[in-house]
Amino acid sequence: MPRLIAPSTKRRSLAGKYGTFKPILVIAAISCLVVGCKEQETFPSRPITLICPWSAGGGTDQVARQIAMQLEHTLGVPVNVLNATGGAGVTGHTRGAQANPDGYTITMITSELNMLHWRGMTNISYLDYEPLMQVNRDYAAVFVRADAPWSSLQELEQAIRARPGTLTASGTAFGGVWHVSMVGWLLKSGFSADAVTWIPMDGSAPSLQELMAGGLDFVVCSLPEARSLLEAGAIRTLGVMAEERLARYPGVPTFKEHGIEWTSGTWRGLAVPKGIPEERAEVLTNALRQVVAGDAYMDFLQAAGFGSAALPRQEFAAFLEQENEAYGEVFASDAFQAVTSQRYGPWLFPAVVIGLMAVTIAVLLGSGALRVHDEAQEVTARGAFRVGIAVGAIILYMLVAEQAGYVLSAALLLAVLFWTFKVKWYVAAGVVLVLVPLTYQVFAVYLRVGLPWGWLGW
Amino acid sequence: MNEALMQAFGQVFTPEVLLAIVFAAIYGVFMGAVPGLSATMAVALFVPVTYWMGPVPAVAAIVTMSACAIFAGDIPTTLLRIPGTPASAAYVDDAYSYTLRGQSDHALGVALLWSVAGGLFGALVLMLLGHQLANIAAYFGVAEYFWLYLLGLSSAIVVSRGSVIKGMLSLFIGLLLATVGLSSVHTAARFTFGQPELFQGIDFIAAMIGLFGLSEVLRILMDLERTDSAGHLTPPARSQPVSDYVRRYLIHPVVSLFRPALHLLRMRTGHWVRSSAIGSLIGILPGAGADIASWVSIGASQRFSKDPDAYGRGSLEGLADATAANSSALAGTWIPALVFGIPGDSITAIAMGVLLMKNMDPGPAIFEEQPVFVYSLYMAFILANLVLIPVGFLAIKAGGFVVRVPRRVLLPIILLFCVIGAYAIKGSYFDVGIMLGMGLLGFALERRQVPLGPLVLGIILGGPLEARFIQTLTVSGGSPLAFFNRPAAALLGMACIALWMATAVMKMKQNWKKDRKELVAAEESE
Repeated sequence: MPRLIAPSTKRRSLAGKYGTFKPILVIAAISCLVVGCKEQETFPSRPITLICPWSAGGGTDQVARQIAMQLEHTLGVPVNVLNATGGAGVTGHTRGAQANPDGYTITMITSELNMLHWRGMTNISYLDYEPLMQVNRDYAAVFVRADAPWSSLQELEQAIRARPGTLTASGTAFGGVWHVSMVGWLLKSGFSADAVTWIPMDGSAPSLQELMAGGLDFVVCSLPEARSLLEAGAIRTLGVMAEERLARYPGVPTFKEHGIEWTSGTWRGLAVPKGIPEERAEVLTNALRQVVAGDAYMDFLQAAGFGSAALPRQEFAAFLEQENEAYGEVFASDAFQAVTSQRYGPWLFPAVVIGLMAVTIAVLLGSGALRVHDEAQEVTARGAFRVGIAVGAIILYMLVAEQAGYVLSAALLLAVLFWTFKVKWYVAAGVVLVLVPLTYQVFAVYLRVGLPWGWLGW
Repeated sequence: MNEALMQAFGQVFTPEVLLAIVFAAIYGVFMGAVPGLSATMAVALFVPVTYWMGPVPAVAAIVTMSACAIFAGDIPTTLLRIPGTPASAAYVDDAYSYTLRGQSDHALGVALLWSVAGGLFGALVLMLLGHQLANIAAYFGVAEYFWLYLLGLSSAIVVSRGSVIKGMLSLFIGLLLATVGLSSVHTAARFTFGQPELFQGIDFIAAMIGLFGLSEVLRILMDLERTDSAGHLTPPARSQPVSDYVRRYLIHPVVSLFRPALHLLRMRTGHWVRSSAIGSLIGILPGAGADIASWVSIGASQRFSKDPDAYGRGSLEGLADATAANSSALAGTWIPALVFGIPGDSITAIAMGVLLMKNMDPGPAIFEEQPVFVYSLYMAFILANLVLIPVGFLAIKAGGFVVRVPRRVLLPIILLFCVIGAYAIKGSYFDVGIMLGMGLLGFALERRQVPLGPLVLGIILGGPLEARFIQTLTVSGGSPLAFFNRPAAALLGMACIALWMATAVMKMKQNWKKDRKELVAAEESE
């Protein structure tokens, strides 16, 4: 508790005559009474964050939320899903790997973990993680329109051989998992990586739509993603890149049956940052084992169409290493390098925008229209001071929130501003006392936004 | 009446479903009204609850909360100038100007009623034309999307106040900010300087909260003294004292809120049809949703308006048309989900996930195999919009308290909400920093009368626009003809170019008139 008092006493000298230090002390005292400042002896004793590198509503998110819900039952503490999206998975995987290895941050790692570092997009690889359990695996499959001229994988390969580079395919962006799956297959079958033109699309749903619209010849994605179109008879599948035929789709031949030694697909698993205390990793693994074996999770996979998998720690680690090497070969191949150095490169669009912007700015500067407008308010010293305090308060919040926790930092932010705006101390105290706990309760408890925890233990 | 329809009635009008709809409405309004919490987040958080619900109440609740959240986004937009959802960003200044004049109820009443009207139109389109319209998506290849996005961006420039060239500057800043991070087509890092945080790019919700909300707080702070006489954000308009309590607290607020809005709806029925139709059509297209619908519709609205200069300053017409369009887009997003099993946006993607869990396969077969469910869904859409009227009314009245709080107390609270809102998106302090930076940028740009709307839309659409641009070039092997060689693409391209030409001509005329006036004035003074 001594660390708790420190910021408040500092404020005393600063805010002396305005007396706004009072709300901080009061709220600290009351919050402490309310939550009892409990000691952390057993793991887990506070909410766990489950980082999902993909956006809300997607397949990974669905699995993550299902696991989180089951884990809550098993572990007895809230498990909050945090969608750390962006950068094709770089953001989430980086944040997960760099999190505090105390077991309170778990990451749902996906197959991209084994791809991103090969493309030089991050230094994070499976070596930065302590894998806990693989919880799902879906294999890549090749889909064509129902009226397509090819009825088997061989016929499709013949078409590719007859007219290399003319067929178009998609399923994801360049270098995404379905692209790598296709390139791996092409290389194994003795084609070059650009024997099929890959059109980068934002995901399987738009790719399937483009397939239906006639813009693509085939799509590579997982079976559950194409399930409704498949079952409606609008598209057909020529083969799946799995070890053996899937129980759910017994009529779909594997690539291996066609003599192509290539398996590929997505998987999802849970991992914690390296360096976690072993007993905590054990607690989490045991809980996960119960979850994955439970009927509720099995029913969920079955209903949502996801493929099941339950690789325990050692096997998962071995799998990660082996897949990482297989993908390394695909990415390192000359052919793939050639495909990824595209004609319409990543700097074309920014260059166009910058060019247009330069012209616009030149015109505006030329006409003198970029001056501060006459109607704009004057910058007074007091006004600038207030703006400075507001900006400073936000920066202060960003600096202390992770350490001190939301409740204290938010109280501090409000107190600083109320003091600057000369709000009467009892009004300020009232607002802080009601608003801060209320927002914490609503956001962190009901809405599961992982507001920082901090010294108060709340 | 056919049997499936009767069964659907029986399934929807049960206490369970009706209760779910009411609760979902309240929840949706709350989630939409808090900046940083989105309709998508609301639905994603709701998914675990659906495990214990039947498919009809679950989907009815999802439909209701998303419809309510889209409207509720207008409440902070109007009262605090913080768009609650990206769909509200198109008319931020139009709506907020009414709060500055002390007439926030007026703008919110219009927003509510037109949202409901647009939503009902969308539901009708879904019911009657869903099957036929779904085929539109088949005409939409990458080039068509490219033009559609460009049309949305151009509308943003045209409707924003001030000079077109400043709007263009704002747009280019937005497009450039959108390229920060990982290019979705190339999966190549740009402007990241090796920082992992920058890979995620500039989040548009954080940017929006900063550009509009924080910059407004800073602007008020700059001269708190001068504008502080009343001590309130707005002087609350006091109506005539009414002795009868029922009339004063019940009838009067309802009438005063809805009467001007109803009047507007009666006067502008044709505009309602046009705006809602634009919204529905755009909603059908996967990858284009309520936000683009808002901009395109407000752009079209200005073309047909007798008072085009008011747009971006306080145009009730623009506000009305845009709210109708973004609400009607919602039903549109369900059309590809139901007909093809391809979700139109993230909300329908989650809803489809829920349906799959209930062993119902959305997709072409659902109309034959599950007609009762489809009819129930239609009814849920209508009920969702009807329940929005009372719930939205209460939310507006509750929001009304906000503007009565003295400014010195309110501003710090708004600031705190800007921080939480930016943080809540993905629990990242980097987003709080973006919010702060964008707040300062917005503050500086507004002092130079550069409009902010195009900037926000640039950040939202920059990525997709670039993706379609690169895809079109890749497919065609670099021929620019690919942008015009399909009928739908040519049509949209022409519409886009026509909009540019019309704007250029209009501006030139204005300048010419101004020059003439100055010339005449100079001659007179001589």
